[in-house]
Amino acid sequence: MKIAALSLACLSAIALSGCDIPGRPKKEDRRPEPHHVTDFKTLYSQNCAGCHGNGQSVGPVIAMNDPLYLSILPKEQMRQIVTNGRAENGMPAFALSNGGSLTNEQIGIIVDNIYAWAKNPPPTNAPAYSAPLGDVARGAAVFAANCASCHGADGQGLKDKAGSVVNPAYLGLVSDQYLRTITIAGRNDLGCPDFASRVPGKAMTSEEISDVVAWLASHRENEFGQKLAPAQQ
Amino acid sequence: MNGKALIQALNGVYEWVDKRLHVTDLFNHTAGHPIPKSSASWFYVFGSATLLCFMIQLLTGCLLALVYVPSAAEAYTTLEYLTFRQELGWFLRATHYWGSNFMVGIMLIHVTQVFLFGAYKYPREITWMSGVVLMLLTLGLAFTGQVMRFDEDAYWGLGIGAAIAGRSPMIGQQVVNFMLGGPIIASETLSRFFTLHVFVLPGSVLALVALHLRMVLTKGINEYPKPGQIVRKETYDKEYATIIKKEGIPFFPHGIWKDLVAASIVIGGILFCVLMFGPKGPLGEPNPTQIDTVPRPDFFFLWIFAIAALMPDYMETFMLLVAPPIIIGLLFILPFINNTGEKSWRRRPIAVLSVILIYLALGLLTYLGQTSPWSPDMKAWSGAETPREFVEGRSPLELQGLAVLQNKQCRNCHAIDGIGGHRGPDLADVGTRLTKDQLVRQIIQGGGNMPAYGKNLSPYETDALVAYMVSLHPKGELPARDSTIPATPAPLSVQEGEQHEAVGAH
Repeated sequence: MKIAALSLACLSAIALSGCDIPGRPKKEDRRPEPHHVTDFKTLYSQNCAGCHGNGQSVGPVIAMNDPLYLSILPKEQMRQIVTNGRAENGMPAFALSNGGSLTNEQIGIIVDNIYAWAKNPPPTNAPAYSAPLGDVARGAAVFAANCASCHGADGQGLKDKAGSVVNPAYLGLVSDQYLRTITIAGRNDLGCPDFASRVPGKAMTSEEISDVVAWLASHRENEFGQKLAPAQQ
Repeated sequence: MNGKALIQALNGVYEWVDKRLHVTDLFNHTAGHPIPKSSASWFYVFGSATLLCFMIQLLTGCLLALVYVPSAAEAYTTLEYLTFRQELGWFLRATHYWGSNFMVGIMLIHVTQVFLFGAYKYPREITWMSGVVLMLLTLGLAFTGQVMRFDEDAYWGLGIGAAIAGRSPMIGQQVVNFMLGGPIIASETLSRFFTLHVFVLPGSVLALVALHLRMVLTKGINEYPKPGQIVRKETYDKEYATIIKKEGIPFFPHGIWKDLVAASIVIGGILFCVLMFGPKGPLGEPNPTQIDTVPRPDFFFLWIFAIAALMPDYMETFMLLVAPPIIIGLLFILPFINNTGEKSWRRRPIAVLSVILIYLALGLLTYLGQTSPWSPDMKAWSGAETPREFVEGRSPLELQGLAVLQNKQCRNCHAIDGIGGHRGPDLADVGTRLTKDQLVRQIIQGGGNMPAYGKNLSPYETDALVAYMVSLHPKGELPARDSTIPATPAPLSVQEGEQHEAVGAH
């Protein structure tokens, strides 16, 4: 009985004292309304990590911590992309006003913190983020010089290297801008080099990238297998 | 004044009081009443432990009511105030929460022990029946208490309760109005549940406990059953009187010490949980426009939650409206179905098997309720990452397929390697189970509890999605093949190559 009373007294003393008790709720245990969440980690892991990965994991689309990507894409443009989405690429709109789940403030927090990952200023030879389509015929030559070693001379892919980039279904799901961004930034996390390291010592120029995107876009077909005229940007 | 004179004076006071209040008489008929020596057992402490929990609930409940405001507009704010700002408010809330958990848990042990020890048999039928009502009242307290914690769980829990009540034939709408104080959950609803939780149910419990204890005193506590000792209406009362006469001991102090030890263990247990785990919630605000929640009842109702989620449609009305009265009715009339005979569980295999079966079912359903694999994970589409090996080495089209898989929210129901929802099958090895054509058919037409997505996907999206899913087969395992088409040499060479790979891996 004495032991029980003693332990009871001890427990109560712990409860009454100010020391750190695991059961005592902390400020951060408070469940904020979804629109009041301002913690970047939470916001990113709930809204972005599924497709863009979290730095450790890789996603189906470009990683948000890719320094080259962050250096060529203006911050304001990323804010627009997150707000309005990119229907042509399947990127959903996240702003409440567009049927998404994030407030403008939350989008601001996400974009600001993503740019905090940007380490380097853009390389001096970095191509422009966007540019009009170039010349298809020149693009074929650029492709042969820079991309064919992995994707095959005809772009249909090489076994054990890289898959097709001229598959109509693939081209039907991505925009010309998407093709340009990937051509510039590559997918370093998946082994696809960026514009500067495809051919050692010879970085692709902005014009070459416009040309190769035009060549890729010329392979677009509709669902019935008919060639589509390349869309002008 | 010397010591002797002091004692004499005190005795005088005691006699004066006793002559008027009959304290000695009261003591002899209650705490001092004789019990069979065999009943002063550790198995007999659960009733008093349940009562102790109830007392803790009364005390902490009164203190909580000093701060808590039972109005839909203010309840949540006062809960937050109690939890985060009021000095030791969290301790009070946690004690009330864990006290209720302990009360339901210990009460279940008590009921099980009484059932296994045959204590419900002649002549203690009313003791059992009042106990069954007490059990229902306790569960009622637990449910209404969950509503007092007026957060999103409480809100949606009430909604589900009202939906069940609304199924009553003919008078559904009236029952819902009566329960909620109107057609929707509003301040009237909370007032009603507050009244039930704070006045009606605890008052009824007190009245029933009085009856329950009165029966224990008048009909005597059940003797520790021995195999072969048969209860017969004609002889039992005499036999019990003999036991009391031969080996009866006063409950105080010979029986009560075990109850006191049990009481301190219970208090210690509650305090431990309070300090380690704290109070529950409040979770998000009870906001009907906020549908991004996964409401879940407290643990003692998880099994009902699981049944409600898992039963087939055609059984719903029966399970919700017909089965509970039958089960409660059976419990209530149990002493009349099985009034005499063996008491010892050693000679009552059906009783033991029923207990095992009921607890297994309840345990399994509670586990399922806790994990609730049937609930989609609504954040998985944008938050569930894909393990590296399911991304690397994929063609651009397959990567787009994975993007479609995320964007079209397939991940909410389908995990990849365990990450994501668990409503549908894991897709990590779907390529070994379904061929390309089968995948197209399943995605476009749905089936087997999966909706059809044909109208939500463009042909290109379907192509990409299927291309990705076909690529989902563990290294060394062949993709699914249409059995009507004989294997061509090309797949055979792939097969050989992959087999070599698999062998190499070993």
